[in-house]
Amino acid sequence: MARKGDLQRKLRLGYVVFGVLMVIEIVEYVVGTGLRSGNWPYLGILAIVGAWPILRYFMHIQQLRKPKE
Amino acid sequence: MAIPQDRHVEDRPAINRLGLWLFILSDGFLFVVLLTTRFYMQGVQRPAEVNQPLGLAISIVLLLSSLFAYRGETAAAYGDVKRFRRNILVTIGLGALFLAGVVIEWAEGFHFFPPQSTAYGTVFFTLTGFHAFHVVTGLLALVIILLPGQQKRLQSGNHWGVEAMVKYWHFVDVAWVFIFPTLYLVS
Repeated sequence: MARKGDLQRKLRLGYVVFGVLMVIEIVEYVVGTGLRSGNWPYLGILAIVGAWPILRYFMHIQQLRKPKE
Repeated sequence: MAIPQDRHVEDRPAINRLGLWLFILSDGFLFVVLLTTRFYMQGVQRPAEVNQPLGLAISIVLLLSSLFAYRGETAAAYGDVKRFRRNILVTIGLGALFLAGVVIEWAEGFHFFPPQSTAYGTVFFTLTGFHAFHVVTGLLALVIILLPGQQKRLQSGNHWGVEAMVKYWHFVDVAWVFIFPTLYLVS
């Protein structure tokens, strides 16, 4: 039972991460189309911010340091 | 000094993961080189004809595919084979949809900024082509983990094959997170 609850919790986490990624992607699009010049520093920061949740929550990069996580 | 057998077995997933991450890192460097080429050859200039809404649409499709890949991998880790199969099938469908979007982009690109006559076109087709090749190989890998042999492994508690292929799929997504603004939005 606890195992099933744990699975559901992890599946829900996926939706939260996806929601965050969507927000970042749309902000990126608004910045890219709204700021006609000099937008590259903002886009660079947003790309790094967008890549992090994928690396952390989808790819579990922390397992390299803590294999049990 | 010999390593005890049980220790060797215990360390196996960690060693596998380290190997996969080293592969991903080395592959990532190729993307970094190509992304750098864009700025070296073209600065921050971009043709007005680049289809930004389509770029956003295929980005969302790829991010969505990552969500389903994550769900599939999580289900596999918990031995839920039915849910694993369902989610990986959706991932494959979304990956194919992404490729269809790239084909439309290419058709427009050949018309407005052909690779043989503009620096931007050269970079655009090289980067998106290199990335699309990764998507194709990722799709093949996802099909392989749906084969019956892999599912027998899942039922016996070994989901390393699924974890590795899904991690590769997420890597393809991370690469796109950088390619999308570099090619479609920077100005």
